[in-house]
Amino acid sequence: MEVLEHFYLEIIIPIHIGPVDISITNLTLSMFAGVGLFLILLLVISSKPRIIPRRRQVIAELLLNFIKRGMCYNMIGTGEGDKWVPFVSAVFIFILANNLIGLVPGAYTPTSNPVFTLTMALIVFFTVHITNFKKNGFKGYFKTYAPSSVPKWMLVIVVPIEVISAIAKPFSLFIRLMANMLAGHTIIYVILGLIIYFKTYFIAIAAVPFAVVMMMLELFISAIQAYVFAILTALYIGEVVNPRH
Amino acid sequence: MDPKTAALIAAGFCMGVGAIGPGLAIGNLVGKAVESIARQPEAGGQINTAMFIGIAFAEAISLYALVVAFLLIFVA
Repeated sequence: MEVLEHFYLEIIIPIHIGPVDISITNLTLSMFAGVGLFLILLLVISSKPRIIPRRRQVIAELLLNFIKRGMCYNMIGTGEGDKWVPFVSAVFIFILANNLIGLVPGAYTPTSNPVFTLTMALIVFFTVHITNFKKNGFKGYFKTYAPSSVPKWMLVIVVPIEVISAIAKPFSLFIRLMANMLAGHTIIYVILGLIIYFKTYFIAIAAVPFAVVMMMLELFISAIQAYVFAILTALYIGEVVNPRH
Repeated sequence: MDPKTAALIAAGFCMGVGAIGPGLAIGNLVGKAVESIARQPEAGGQINTAMFIGIAFAEAISLYALVVAFLLIFVA
C-alpha cells in the first residue's frame, strides 16, 4: 500500500505549448473546482447588497471585516492597511478555498503540493521586496539589512543574520502550509487504510469515528493555516511600509 | 545494516525527537493562555487568536521534522 498515493499528479488533458507543459492535472482540476465554488458562494452571499444587511450578507461582511480589521489594520496600520486589503484577502481566500477542497473525498489537495505553496510564498516574497524598494528607495532598502541603530562593528554579525532571515521567510511560509496539509490528509488516509491493511471490517468501528474527528480537526487547521499565511503576509508588508527607526 | 534500514530508523528518530520541542511548546502555550483567560475572562477572544497563531508556529517545527522523515523514507 502506497501511503502518499493520493498526492501523485495525474495528467488528465495534456497541453504542450512549445517547451512549456501546462497540462490539466488533477491538481488544476481541484483548484478550479475549489476556487470556482468559493467564488460562486461569495457572489451569492454578496449579491444585491442592502444598507440593512440580510443574513447572508452579514456573512460576507463578517469575512471582509475580519480581513480588514483583524489582519490589515492590526498588522499594517489604518492608513496603509486599506491599500493592502485586496492582496491580503486574495491570498487568504485563495488558500482557504484550496485547503477546503482537499477535504472532499477524491479531490486532490492543491496546497499539499510543494510547487503550489512555493509559488504562493514567492509571490509574497517579491511583493514585499518590490514594495520595500518602491516605498523606501535604494538607500532605505539596504537600511533594512543594516539598521542604523546598531553600532558599526556589529554590522558584521547583523547583516548576514538579516539576509538569512529574509531568505528563510518565504521558505518557512512554503514548508509550513505544505507540511500541515500533507500531514493531516496522510493521517486520515492511514487511519482508513488500516481497514484494508488488516483485511477486516472490525477495525472500521474504531477507525471511522477517529477519521471523522481528524476530519473536523483538519477543517479547523485548514482555516488556521490560511489565516496564518495571510497574517504573516500582512506582517511582512507591515514591517516594510512602516520602517523601523 | 543497509542504507534503507538506516534511513527508516533515522526517520523514526527524526519524528520522535522532533516532536518533543513542539509538544513542550504547545503545552506551555495553552497552559499560559488558560491562566491568562482565568485571570481576565473578558480578554478571552484576543488571547485565543494569539494562542492559535502561536500553536500554528510551534506545530510547524514538528512538521519540518515530518518533511525530513518523509524525505528519508522516500528519497534516501
